[in-house]
Amino acid sequence: MDNAFISADKLAVGYGKKIIADNIEFSVQRGKILTLIGPNGAGKSTVLKTLAGYLKKLGGRVVIDGESSDKYSEKEMAKKLSVVLTERIKPELMTCREVVETGRYPYTGSFGILSENDNEIVDKAIETVSMRDFSGMYFDSVSDGQRQRVMLARAICQEPDILILDEPTSYLDIHHKIHFLELLRKLATENKIAVIMSMHELDFAEKISDYILCIKDGKAVLSGTPAEIFTAENIMELYDISENLYKKYFV
Amino acid sequence: MFILLFIGVLLIFISNLFTGSADITFFDAVHAFFGEKNYAGDILFKIRIPRALAAMLLGGALSLSGYLLQTFFHNPIAGPFVLGVSSGAKLVVALAMIFSAGIFGTLSSAMLIFSAFIGSLISLGFVLIVSRKVKQMSMLVVCGVMIGYICSAVTDFLVTFANDSDIVNLHDWSMGTFSGTGMDDVKAIFVFVFFGFVGAFFLSKPIGAYMLGESYAKNMGVNIKLLRALLIILSGLLSSAVTAFAGPVSFVGIAVPHIIRVLFKTSKPLVMIPACFLGGSIFCMLCDMIARTVFAPTELSISTVTAIFGAPVVIIIMLKRKRGEMNG
Repeated sequence: MDNAFISADKLAVGYGKKIIADNIEFSVQRGKILTLIGPNGAGKSTVLKTLAGYLKKLGGRVVIDGESSDKYSEKEMAKKLSVVLTERIKPELMTCREVVETGRYPYTGSFGILSENDNEIVDKAIETVSMRDFSGMYFDSVSDGQRQRVMLARAICQEPDILILDEPTSYLDIHHKIHFLELLRKLATENKIAVIMSMHELDFAEKISDYILCIKDGKAVLSGTPAEIFTAENIMELYDISENLYKKYFV
Repeated sequence: MFILLFIGVLLIFISNLFTGSADITFFDAVHAFFGEKNYAGDILFKIRIPRALAAMLLGGALSLSGYLLQTFFHNPIAGPFVLGVSSGAKLVVALAMIFSAGIFGTLSSAMLIFSAFIGSLISLGFVLIVSRKVKQMSMLVVCGVMIGYICSAVTDFLVTFANDSDIVNLHDWSMGTFSGTGMDDVKAIFVFVFFGFVGAFFLSKPIGAYMLGESYAKNMGVNIKLLRALLIILSGLLSSAVTAFAGPVSFVGIAVPHIIRVLFKTSKPLVMIPACFLGGSIFCMLCDMIARTVFAPTELSISTVTAIFGAPVVIIIMLKRKRGEMNG
Protein backbone atom coordinates (compact mmCIF):
# COMPACT_ATOMS: atom_id res chain seq x y z
CA MET A 1 0.00 0.00 0.00
CA ASP A 2 1.50 3.33 -1.04
CA ASN A 3 1.48 6.64 0.84
CA ALA A 4 0.99 4.81 4.09
CA PHE A 5 1.01 7.29 6.97
CA ILE A 6 1.87 4.74 9.61
CA SER A 7 3.26 1.32 8.95
CA ALA A 8 4.84 -1.50 10.91
CA ASP A 9 7.46 -3.87 9.62
CA LYS A 10 8.25 -7.13 11.48
CA LEU A 11 7.18 -5.40 14.68
CA ALA A 12 7.70 -7.37 17.91
CA VAL A 13 5.93 -6.25 21.07
CA GLY A 14 5.79 -7.34 24.70
CA TYR A 15 6.50 -6.47 28.32
CA GLY A 16 10.08 -6.10 29.48
CA LYS A 17 11.95 -8.61 27.39
CA LYS A 18 9.12 -11.08 27.03
CA ILE A 19 7.73 -11.02 23.52
CA ILE A 20 3.95 -11.27 23.41
CA ALA A 21 3.44 -10.85 19.69
CA ASP A 22 5.82 -10.55 16.76
CA ASN A 23 5.93 -10.27 13.00
CA ILE A 24 3.22 -7.65 13.08
CA GLU A 25 2.95 -5.91 9.72
CA PHE A 26 0.46 -3.38 8.46
CA SER A 27 0.19 0.03 6.90
CA VAL A 28 -2.57 2.60 7.12
CA GLN A 29 -3.13 5.74 5.06
CA ARG A 30 -4.68 8.94 6.34
CA GLY A 31 -8.45 8.69 6.55
CA LYS A 32 -8.47 4.88 6.73
CA ILE A 33 -9.41 2.57 9.59
CA LEU A 34 -7.46 -0.53 10.53
CA THR A 35 -9.06 -2.88 13.04
CA LEU A 36 -7.24 -5.56 14.98
CA ILE A 37 -9.35 -8.59 15.76
CA GLY A 38 -8.56 -11.85 17.49
CA PRO A 39 -9.11 -13.80 20.71
CA ASN A 40 -8.53 -12.32 24.18
CA GLY A 41 -4.90 -12.32 25.19
CA ALA A 42 -3.66 -12.63 21.61
CA GLY A 43 -1.65 -9.43 21.94
CA LYS A 44 -3.93 -6.78 20.38
CA SER A 45 -3.66 -4.38 23.31
CA THR A 46 0.09 -4.92 23.51
CA VAL A 47 0.43 -3.91 19.86
CA LEU A 48 -1.66 -0.78 20.45
CA LYS A 49 0.26 0.13 23.61
CA THR A 50 3.53 -0.19 21.74
CA LEU A 51 2.31 1.99 18.87
CA ALA A 52 1.14 4.60 21.38
CA GLY A 53 4.56 4.61 23.02
CA TYR A 54 3.65 3.08 26.40
CA LEU A 55 5.82 0.04 25.75
CA LYS A 56 9.18 -0.14 24.06
CA LYS A 57 9.07 -2.12 20.86
CA LEU A 58 11.12 -5.28 21.05
CA GLY A 59 12.00 -5.51 17.40
CA GLY A 60 11.12 -4.38 13.89
CA ARG A 61 10.21 -0.92 12.71
CA VAL A 62 7.35 1.53 12.93
CA VAL A 63 7.39 4.30 10.36
CA ILE A 64 5.25 7.37 10.87
CA ASP A 65 4.99 10.02 8.16
CA GLY A 66 8.12 8.73 6.47
CA GLU A 67 10.25 8.76 9.63
CA SER A 68 11.10 5.99 12.05
CA SER A 69 8.98 6.38 15.20
CA ASP A 70 12.13 6.54 17.35
CA LYS A 71 13.00 9.90 15.78
CA TYR A 72 10.06 11.71 17.37
CA SER A 73 10.34 13.34 20.80
CA GLU A 74 7.52 12.88 23.33
CA LYS A 75 6.25 16.36 22.53
CA GLU A 76 6.27 15.84 18.77
CA MET A 77 4.57 12.50 19.23
CA ALA A 78 1.85 14.12 21.35
CA LYS A 79 0.93 16.31 18.38
CA LYS A 80 0.87 13.37 15.97
CA LEU A 81 -0.79 10.58 17.85
CA SER A 82 -3.57 10.46 20.37
CA VAL A 83 -5.37 7.67 22.22
CA VAL A 84 -8.66 6.48 23.65
CA LEU A 85 -7.89 3.78 26.19
CA THR A 86 -9.88 1.06 27.94
CA GLU A 87 -8.91 2.23 31.40
CA ARG A 88 -11.72 4.19 32.97
CA ILE A 89 -10.61 7.45 34.44
CA LYS A 90 -12.25 9.03 37.46
CA PRO A 91 -11.15 12.63 37.62
CA GLU A 92 -12.81 14.39 40.54
CA LEU A 93 -14.72 17.59 39.97
CA MET A 94 -13.63 17.91 36.37
CA THR A 95 -16.29 18.93 33.90
CA CYS A 96 -16.55 17.22 30.53
CA ARG A 97 -15.23 20.36 28.90
CA GLU A 98 -12.20 20.41 31.21
CA VAL A 99 -11.44 16.82 30.27
CA VAL A 100 -11.64 17.74 26.57
CA GLU A 101 -9.44 20.78 27.20
CA THR A 102 -6.58 18.61 28.41
CA GLY A 103 -6.24 17.49 24.79
CA ARG A 104 -4.79 20.91 24.00
CA TYR A 105 -1.91 20.19 26.38
CA PRO A 106 0.84 19.86 23.75
CA TYR A 107 -0.11 23.22 22.25
CA THR A 108 -0.52 25.49 25.29
CA GLY A 109 2.09 27.53 27.18
CA SER A 110 3.74 26.76 30.49
CA PHE A 111 0.58 27.28 32.55
CA GLY A 112 -1.74 25.50 30.17
CA ILE A 113 -3.99 28.52 29.66
CA LEU A 114 -6.13 28.16 26.53
CA SER A 115 -5.92 30.76 23.80
CA GLU A 116 -8.97 31.84 21.83
CA ASN A 117 -7.92 29.47 19.08
CA ASP A 118 -7.62 26.61 21.59
CA ASN A 119 -11.08 27.37 22.90
CA GLU A 120 -12.52 27.27 19.40
CA ILE A 121 -10.94 23.89 18.75
CA VAL A 122 -12.31 22.56 22.05
CA ASP A 123 -15.79 23.89 21.24
CA LYS A 124 -15.68 22.35 17.79
CA ALA A 125 -14.60 18.96 19.17
CA ILE A 126 -17.41 19.02 21.73
CA GLU A 127 -19.85 19.99 18.99
CA THR A 128 -18.63 17.16 16.75
CA VAL A 129 -19.33 14.51 19.38
CA SER A 130 -22.67 16.22 20.24
CA MET A 131 -21.79 16.83 23.87
CA ARG A 132 -22.47 20.55 23.91
CA ASP A 133 -25.42 20.30 26.28
CA PHE A 134 -23.41 18.23 28.74
CA SER A 135 -20.05 20.00 28.56
CA GLY A 136 -20.57 21.75 31.90
CA MET A 137 -21.46 18.55 33.75
CA TYR A 138 -18.92 16.69 35.84
CA PHE A 139 -17.25 13.88 33.93
CA ASP A 140 -18.08 11.30 36.60
CA SER A 141 -21.79 12.14 36.46
CA VAL A 142 -22.45 11.42 32.77
CA SER A 143 -23.20 8.02 31.17
CA ASP A 144 -20.66 5.59 29.73
CA GLY A 145 -21.62 6.49 26.18
CA GLN A 146 -21.18 10.18 26.88
CA ARG A 147 -17.85 9.61 28.61
CA GLN A 148 -16.54 7.73 25.63
CA ARG A 149 -17.58 10.59 23.37
CA VAL A 150 -15.81 13.04 25.68
CA MET A 151 -12.66 10.95 25.49
CA LEU A 152 -12.93 10.95 21.70
CA ALA A 153 -13.34 14.73 21.71
CA ARG A 154 -10.29 14.99 23.95
CA ALA A 155 -8.34 12.86 21.52
CA ILE A 156 -9.27 14.95 18.47
CA CYS A 157 -8.46 18.18 20.32
CA GLN A 158 -4.91 16.97 20.25
CA GLU A 159 -5.18 17.36 16.45
CA PRO A 160 -3.58 14.00 15.80
CA ASP A 161 -2.73 12.42 12.48
CA ILE A 162 -3.08 9.01 14.07
CA LEU A 163 -5.76 7.91 16.49
CA ILE A 164 -5.38 4.72 18.51
CA LEU A 165 -8.40 3.23 20.28
CA ASP A 166 -8.37 0.13 22.46
CA GLU A 167 -11.80 -1.54 22.34
CA PRO A 168 -13.59 1.80 22.23
CA THR A 169 -17.08 0.34 21.96
CA SER A 170 -16.92 -2.41 24.58
CA TYR A 171 -18.90 -0.67 27.31
CA LEU A 172 -21.54 0.76 25.00
CA ASP A 173 -24.98 -0.47 24.05
CA ILE A 174 -25.90 -1.04 20.40
CA HIS A 175 -27.22 2.48 19.89
CA HIS A 176 -24.05 4.05 21.26
CA LYS A 177 -21.78 1.57 19.49
CA ILE A 178 -23.25 2.48 16.13
CA HIS A 179 -23.16 6.20 16.76
CA PHE A 180 -19.64 6.07 18.09
CA LEU A 181 -18.43 4.20 15.01
CA GLU A 182 -20.24 6.58 12.65
CA LEU A 183 -18.54 9.45 14.44
CA LEU A 184 -15.18 7.75 14.13
CA ARG A 185 -15.64 7.21 10.40
CA LYS A 186 -16.63 10.84 9.93
CA LEU A 187 -13.61 12.07 11.87
CA ALA A 188 -11.23 9.78 10.01
CA THR A 189 -12.48 11.03 6.65
CA GLU A 190 -12.90 14.72 7.44
CA ASN A 191 -9.74 15.22 9.50
CA LYS A 192 -7.67 12.76 7.44
CA ILE A 193 -6.76 10.71 10.50
CA ALA A 194 -5.28 7.23 10.29
CA VAL A 195 -7.24 5.14 12.81
CA ILE A 196 -5.97 1.95 14.41
CA MET A 197 -8.21 0.19 16.89
CA SER A 198 -9.05 -3.15 18.42
CA MET A 199 -12.55 -4.55 18.57
CA HIS A 200 -14.45 -7.66 19.61
CA GLU A 201 -17.65 -6.94 17.72
CA LEU A 202 -16.96 -8.67 14.41
CA ASP A 203 -20.18 -7.54 12.73
CA PHE A 204 -19.31 -3.90 13.40
CA ALA A 205 -15.64 -4.35 12.58
CA GLU A 206 -16.62 -5.68 9.17
CA LYS A 207 -18.78 -2.64 8.40
CA ILE A 208 -16.51 0.11 9.71
CA SER A 209 -12.99 -0.99 8.81
CA ASP A 210 -10.93 -0.48 5.67
CA TYR A 211 -8.42 -3.12 6.68
CA ILE A 212 -8.45 -5.97 9.17
CA LEU A 213 -5.48 -7.51 10.91
CA CYS A 214 -6.09 -10.84 12.67
CA ILE A 215 -3.86 -11.62 15.63
CA LYS A 216 -3.80 -15.05 17.22
CA ASP A 217 -1.32 -16.46 19.75
CA GLY A 218 1.10 -13.60 19.24
CA LYS A 219 1.16 -13.83 15.47
CA ALA A 220 -0.40 -11.72 12.77
CA VAL A 221 -2.16 -14.59 11.04
CA LEU A 222 -4.16 -12.77 8.38
CA SER A 223 -4.63 -9.33 6.99
CA GLY A 224 -6.70 -7.79 4.26
CA THR A 225 -9.91 -5.98 3.49
CA PRO A 226 -13.04 -6.95 5.46
CA ALA A 227 -14.40 -8.74 2.39
CA GLU A 228 -11.30 -10.94 2.24
CA ILE A 229 -11.13 -11.64 5.96
CA PHE A 230 -14.69 -12.23 7.03
CA THR A 231 -15.24 -15.68 5.59
CA ALA A 232 -16.58 -18.59 7.58
CA GLU A 233 -13.28 -20.51 7.43
CA ASN A 234 -11.19 -17.58 8.62
CA ILE A 235 -13.42 -16.77 11.58
CA MET A 236 -13.73 -20.43 12.62
CA GLU A 237 -9.96 -20.73 12.44
CA LEU A 238 -9.17 -17.45 14.20
CA TYR A 239 -11.47 -17.98 17.15
CA ASP A 240 -11.34 -21.80 17.31
CA ILE A 241 -15.03 -22.27 16.61
CA SER A 242 -16.39 -25.52 15.22
CA GLU A 243 -18.54 -25.46 12.11
CA ASN A 244 -21.67 -26.34 14.06
CA LEU A 245 -21.22 -23.53 16.49
CA TYR A 246 -20.36 -21.12 13.70
CA LYS A 247 -23.60 -21.99 11.93
CA LYS A 248 -25.57 -21.72 15.13
CA TYR A 249 -24.30 -18.26 16.06
CA PHE A 250 -23.27 -16.56 12.85
CA VAL A 251 -25.59 -17.70 10.12
CA MET B 1 -13.57 33.58 45.84
CA PHE B 2 -9.89 34.44 45.92
CA ILE B 3 -10.68 37.88 47.25
CA LEU B 4 -12.63 36.26 50.10
CA LEU B 5 -9.66 34.03 50.92
CA PHE B 6 -7.31 37.02 50.95
CA ILE B 7 -9.64 38.94 53.21
CA GLY B 8 -9.86 35.88 55.45
CA VAL B 9 -6.08 35.64 55.71
CA LEU B 10 -5.83 39.32 56.56
CA LEU B 11 -8.63 39.29 59.14
CA ILE B 12 -7.33 36.26 60.96
CA PHE B 13 -3.78 37.57 60.87
CA ILE B 14 -4.92 40.81 62.50
CA SER B 15 -7.10 39.10 65.07
CA ASN B 16 -4.15 36.86 65.93
CA LEU B 17 -2.21 39.99 66.82
CA PHE B 18 -4.84 41.20 69.25
CA THR B 19 -5.59 38.00 71.08
CA GLY B 20 -3.51 36.45 73.82
CA SER B 21 -2.77 36.61 77.47
CA ALA B 22 -1.58 40.20 77.34
CA ASP B 23 -4.17 42.76 76.27
CA ILE B 24 -2.97 44.96 73.49
CA THR B 25 -5.22 47.75 72.34
CA PHE B 26 -5.39 49.09 68.85
CA PHE B 27 -3.74 52.32 70.00
CA ASP B 28 -0.81 50.50 71.60
CA ALA B 29 -0.31 48.73 68.31
CA VAL B 30 -0.47 51.91 66.27
CA HIS B 31 2.06 53.54 68.56
CA ALA B 32 4.31 50.52 68.31
CA PHE B 33 4.15 50.58 64.55
CA PHE B 34 5.32 54.16 64.51
CA GLY B 35 8.48 53.21 66.31
CA GLU B 36 7.54 53.96 69.88
CA LYS B 37 9.32 51.57 72.22
CA ASN B 38 6.71 50.06 74.43
CA TYR B 39 5.62 46.82 75.99
CA ALA B 40 3.00 46.18 73.31
CA GLY B 41 5.57 46.62 70.57
CA ASP B 42 7.82 43.97 72.06
CA ILE B 43 5.04 41.46 72.29
CA LEU B 44 3.85 42.23 68.77
CA PHE B 45 7.17 42.19 66.97
CA LYS B 46 8.96 39.51 68.96
CA ILE B 47 6.15 37.11 69.64
CA ARG B 48 2.84 37.57 67.93
CA ILE B 49 3.79 38.73 64.43
CA PRO B 50 6.47 36.07 63.88
CA ARG B 51 4.17 33.42 65.24
CA ALA B 52 1.24 34.47 63.10
CA LEU B 53 3.48 34.68 60.03
CA ALA B 54 4.87 31.22 60.76
CA ALA B 55 1.37 29.80 61.10
CA MET B 56 0.40 31.52 57.85
CA LEU B 57 3.34 30.23 55.82
CA LEU B 58 3.53 26.78 57.35
CA GLY B 59 -0.22 26.24 57.19
CA GLY B 60 -0.16 27.05 53.50
CA ALA B 61 2.86 24.80 52.97
CA LEU B 62 1.22 21.90 54.75
CA SER B 63 -2.00 22.17 52.81
CA LEU B 64 -0.14 22.43 49.51
CA SER B 65 2.04 19.48 50.43
CA GLY B 66 -1.12 17.48 51.07
CA TYR B 67 -2.56 18.52 47.73
CA LEU B 68 0.60 17.41 45.88
CA LEU B 69 0.59 14.04 47.65
CA GLN B 70 -3.08 13.55 46.84
CA THR B 71 -2.29 14.23 43.21
CA PHE B 72 0.64 11.86 43.28
CA PHE B 73 -1.25 8.95 44.80
CA HIS B 74 -4.60 9.73 43.12
CA ASN B 75 -5.90 9.45 46.64
CA PRO B 76 -7.95 12.14 48.39
CA ILE B 77 -6.93 11.08 51.90
CA ALA B 78 -3.20 11.20 51.32
CA GLY B 79 -1.33 13.82 53.32
CA PRO B 80 2.03 14.36 54.96
CA PHE B 81 0.75 13.38 58.40
CA VAL B 82 -1.23 10.24 57.58
CA LEU B 83 1.47 8.91 55.27
CA GLY B 84 4.02 9.11 58.08
CA VAL B 85 6.05 11.75 56.29
CA SER B 86 5.83 14.24 59.14
CA SER B 87 6.86 11.60 61.68
CA GLY B 88 9.79 10.51 59.54
CA ALA B 89 10.93 14.11 59.35
CA LYS B 90 10.50 14.43 63.10
CA LEU B 91 12.67 11.39 63.73
CA VAL B 92 15.57 12.66 61.64
CA VAL B 93 15.30 16.13 63.18
CA ALA B 94 15.43 14.60 66.67
CA LEU B 95 18.47 12.55 65.64
CA ALA B 96 20.16 15.59 64.18
CA MET B 97 19.45 17.65 67.30
CA ILE B 98 20.82 15.04 69.65
CA PHE B 99 23.92 14.04 67.72
CA SER B 100 24.90 17.49 66.55
CA ALA B 101 24.49 19.02 69.99
CA GLY B 102 27.88 17.72 71.05
CA ILE B 103 29.61 18.61 67.79
CA PHE B 104 28.21 21.82 66.30
CA GLY B 105 26.09 23.20 69.12
CA THR B 106 22.62 24.35 68.13
CA LEU B 107 21.41 23.70 64.63
CA SER B 108 20.60 26.54 62.25
CA SER B 109 17.12 26.88 60.77
CA ALA B 110 18.30 25.71 57.37
CA MET B 111 20.00 22.64 58.88
CA LEU B 112 16.78 21.79 60.70
CA ILE B 113 14.77 21.98 57.50
CA PHE B 114 17.39 19.98 55.66
CA SER B 115 17.30 17.12 58.17
CA ALA B 116 13.51 17.18 58.17
CA PHE B 117 13.65 17.00 54.37
CA ILE B 118 15.87 13.90 54.51
CA GLY B 119 13.46 12.34 56.99
CA SER B 120 10.45 13.11 54.77
CA LEU B 121 12.09 11.56 51.75
CA ILE B 122 13.03 8.41 53.66
CA SER B 123 9.51 7.80 54.90
CA LEU B 124 8.07 8.73 51.50
CA GLY B 125 10.40 6.12 50.06
CA PHE B 126 8.87 3.50 52.35
CA VAL B 127 5.36 4.60 51.44
CA LEU B 128 6.26 4.37 47.74
CA ILE B 129 7.50 0.81 48.14
CA VAL B 130 4.32 -0.11 49.97
CA SER B 131 2.15 1.63 47.38
CA ARG B 132 3.55 -0.61 44.68
CA LYS B 133 2.25 -3.65 46.55
CA VAL B 134 -1.12 -2.35 47.71
CA LYS B 135 -3.50 -0.62 45.37
CA GLN B 136 -6.27 0.11 47.84
CA MET B 137 -6.31 3.66 49.06
CA SER B 138 -7.28 2.84 52.63
CA MET B 139 -4.49 0.25 52.95
CA LEU B 140 -1.94 2.79 51.81
CA VAL B 141 -3.05 5.13 54.56
CA VAL B 142 -2.98 2.35 57.17
CA CYS B 143 0.62 1.61 56.17
CA GLY B 144 1.49 5.30 56.34
CA VAL B 145 0.02 5.58 59.82
CA MET B 146 2.03 2.52 60.92
CA ILE B 147 5.25 4.00 59.53
CA GLY B 148 4.35 7.16 61.43
CA TYR B 149 3.94 5.23 64.68
CA ILE B 150 7.24 3.43 64.25
CA CYS B 151 9.03 6.73 63.68
CA SER B 152 7.31 8.31 66.66
CA ALA B 153 8.23 5.37 68.88
CA VAL B 154 11.88 5.62 67.89
CA THR B 155 11.79 9.37 68.46
CA ASP B 156 10.33 8.88 71.95
CA PHE B 157 13.00 6.32 72.68
CA LEU B 158 15.72 8.77 71.65
CA VAL B 159 14.19 11.55 73.67
CA THR B 160 14.01 9.40 76.78
CA PHE B 161 17.70 8.58 76.69
CA ALA B 162 19.05 11.91 75.49
CA ASN B 163 20.66 14.56 77.67
CA ASP B 164 18.08 17.02 78.84
CA SER B 165 20.19 19.92 77.67
CA ASP B 166 20.33 18.64 74.09
CA ILE B 167 16.61 18.44 73.77
CA VAL B 168 15.39 21.43 75.65
CA ASN B 169 12.61 22.16 73.25
CA LEU B 170 12.32 18.77 71.68
CA HIS B 171 9.50 17.54 73.82
CA ASP B 172 7.19 20.49 73.23
CA TRP B 173 8.17 20.51 69.63
CA SER B 174 7.44 16.85 69.07
CA MET B 175 3.82 17.56 70.04
CA GLY B 176 3.56 20.36 67.49
CA THR B 177 3.44 24.06 68.25
CA PHE B 178 4.05 27.39 66.56
CA SER B 179 5.26 29.03 69.76
CA GLY B 180 8.80 30.29 70.09
CA THR B 181 9.18 31.18 66.42
CA GLY B 182 11.36 34.24 65.91
CA MET B 183 11.70 36.61 62.99
CA ASP B 184 14.86 34.85 61.74
CA ASP B 185 13.01 31.54 61.61
CA VAL B 186 10.25 33.23 59.66
CA LYS B 187 12.81 34.39 57.08
CA ALA B 188 14.17 30.86 56.65
CA ILE B 189 10.65 29.45 56.42
CA PHE B 190 9.72 32.06 53.87
CA VAL B 191 12.59 31.11 51.55
CA PHE B 192 11.78 27.39 51.60
CA VAL B 193 8.03 27.80 51.35
CA PHE B 194 8.37 30.38 48.58
CA PHE B 195 10.42 28.00 46.44
CA GLY B 196 8.04 25.16 47.19
CA PHE B 197 5.03 27.23 46.21
CA VAL B 198 6.51 28.62 43.01
CA GLY B 199 7.71 25.15 42.03
CA ALA B 200 4.25 23.71 42.58
CA PHE B 201 2.65 26.53 40.64
CA PHE B 202 4.83 25.86 37.63
CA LEU B 203 3.74 22.23 37.75
CA SER B 204 0.06 23.07 37.48
CA LYS B 205 -0.11 22.26 33.77
CA PRO B 206 1.33 18.72 33.97
CA ILE B 207 -0.63 18.11 37.19
CA GLY B 208 -3.82 18.88 35.27
CA ALA B 209 -2.93 16.27 32.66
CA TYR B 210 -1.81 13.81 35.33
CA MET B 211 -5.31 13.92 36.83
CA LEU B 212 -6.56 11.92 33.83
CA GLY B 213 -4.20 9.12 34.78
CA GLU B 214 -0.65 8.35 33.77
CA SER B 215 -1.44 6.83 30.40
CA TYR B 216 -3.32 9.84 29.09
CA ALA B 217 -0.76 12.21 30.59
CA LYS B 218 2.01 10.37 28.81
CA ASN B 219 0.11 10.53 25.54
CA MET B 220 -0.07 14.31 25.96
CA GLY B 221 3.70 14.47 26.16
CA VAL B 222 4.11 14.74 29.96
CA ASN B 223 7.39 13.40 31.28
CA ILE B 224 5.84 11.16 33.92
CA LYS B 225 8.99 10.18 35.77
CA LEU B 226 10.14 13.77 36.10
CA LEU B 227 6.72 14.94 37.23
CA ARG B 228 6.45 12.20 39.86
CA ALA B 229 9.92 12.99 41.18
CA LEU B 230 9.15 16.71 41.36
CA LEU B 231 5.84 16.09 43.15
CA ILE B 232 7.61 14.03 45.81
CA ILE B 233 10.47 16.49 46.25
CA LEU B 234 8.20 19.53 46.48
CA SER B 235 5.74 17.97 48.89
CA GLY B 236 8.65 16.70 50.99
CA LEU B 237 10.23 20.15 51.01
CA LEU B 238 7.01 21.89 52.01
CA SER B 239 6.07 19.49 54.77
CA SER B 240 9.60 19.33 56.14
CA ALA B 241 9.68 23.11 56.51
CA VAL B 242 6.63 22.67 58.69
CA THR B 243 7.98 19.76 60.69
CA ALA B 244 11.31 21.44 61.29
CA PHE B 245 9.70 24.44 62.98
CA ALA B 246 6.35 23.38 64.30
CA GLY B 247 6.67 19.60 64.64
CA PRO B 248 4.16 17.29 63.03
CA VAL B 249 0.85 19.05 62.50
CA SER B 250 -2.00 16.69 61.73
CA PHE B 251 -4.77 16.64 59.13
CA VAL B 252 -4.27 20.11 57.60
CA GLY B 253 -2.91 18.48 54.45
CA ILE B 254 -6.07 16.46 53.91
CA ALA B 255 -8.79 18.67 55.30
CA VAL B 256 -7.91 21.95 53.63
CA PRO B 257 -7.56 20.75 50.00
CA HIS B 258 -10.87 18.92 50.41
CA ILE B 259 -12.66 21.98 51.76
CA ILE B 260 -11.16 24.10 48.98
CA ARG B 261 -12.35 21.62 46.34
CA VAL B 262 -15.86 21.76 47.71
CA LEU B 263 -15.84 25.57 47.97
CA PHE B 264 -14.44 26.15 44.49
CA LYS B 265 -16.25 23.17 42.92
CA THR B 266 -13.27 22.45 40.73
CA SER B 267 -9.98 20.61 40.84
CA LYS B 268 -8.10 22.76 38.35
CA PRO B 269 -4.52 22.92 39.64
CA LEU B 270 -4.13 26.53 38.58
CA VAL B 271 -6.92 27.40 41.02
CA MET B 272 -6.26 24.69 43.59
CA ILE B 273 -2.59 25.45 44.24
CA PRO B 274 -2.94 29.08 45.37
CA ALA B 275 -6.34 28.43 46.97
CA CYS B 276 -5.00 25.51 49.01
CA PHE B 277 -2.15 27.67 50.18
CA LEU B 278 -4.40 30.50 51.33
CA GLY B 279 -6.89 28.07 52.85
CA GLY B 280 -4.10 26.37 54.78
CA SER B 281 -2.94 29.75 56.06
CA ILE B 282 -6.39 30.62 57.34
CA PHE B 283 -6.92 27.18 58.86
CA CYS B 284 -3.61 27.13 60.70
CA MET B 285 -3.77 30.69 61.98
CA LEU B 286 -7.28 30.02 63.23
CA CYS B 287 -6.26 26.78 64.92
CA ASP B 288 -3.21 28.42 66.43
CA MET B 289 -5.36 31.20 67.81
CA ILE B 290 -7.64 28.64 69.38
CA ALA B 291 -4.68 26.65 70.69
CA ARG B 292 -3.25 29.58 72.58
CA THR B 293 -6.39 31.34 73.76
CA VAL B 294 -9.02 28.81 74.75
CA PHE B 295 -7.29 27.54 77.88
CA ALA B 296 -4.88 30.48 78.27
CA PRO B 297 -2.37 30.69 79.83
CA THR B 298 -2.05 26.93 79.14
CA GLU B 299 -1.43 26.23 75.45
CA LEU B 300 -2.83 23.30 73.54
CA SER B 301 -0.62 21.61 70.98
CA ILE B 302 -1.54 22.73 67.48
CA SER B 303 -2.24 19.16 66.39
CA THR B 304 -4.89 18.83 69.06
CA VAL B 305 -6.83 21.64 67.48
CA THR B 306 -6.19 20.75 63.83
CA ALA B 307 -7.22 17.15 64.54
CA ILE B 308 -10.53 18.23 66.08
CA PHE B 309 -11.41 20.14 62.92
CA GLY B 310 -9.51 18.04 60.40
CA ALA B 311 -10.23 14.43 61.32
CA PRO B 312 -14.02 14.69 60.79
CA VAL B 313 -13.34 15.93 57.25
CA VAL B 314 -11.35 12.77 56.57
CA ILE B 315 -14.21 10.63 57.86
CA ILE B 316 -16.64 12.51 55.63
CA ILE B 317 -14.44 11.91 52.57
CA MET B 318 -14.21 8.18 53.34
CA LEU B 319 -17.99 7.89 53.74
CA LYS B 320 -18.66 9.81 50.54
CA ARG B 321 -16.21 7.59 48.65
CA LYS B 322 -17.89 4.43 49.90
CA ARG B 323 -21.26 5.64 48.77
CA GLY B 324 -19.86 6.72 45.41
CA GLU B 325 -18.30 3.31 44.87
CA MET B 326 -21.57 1.54 45.63
CA ASN B 327 -23.51 3.71 43.20
CA GLY B 328 -20.95 3.52 40.44
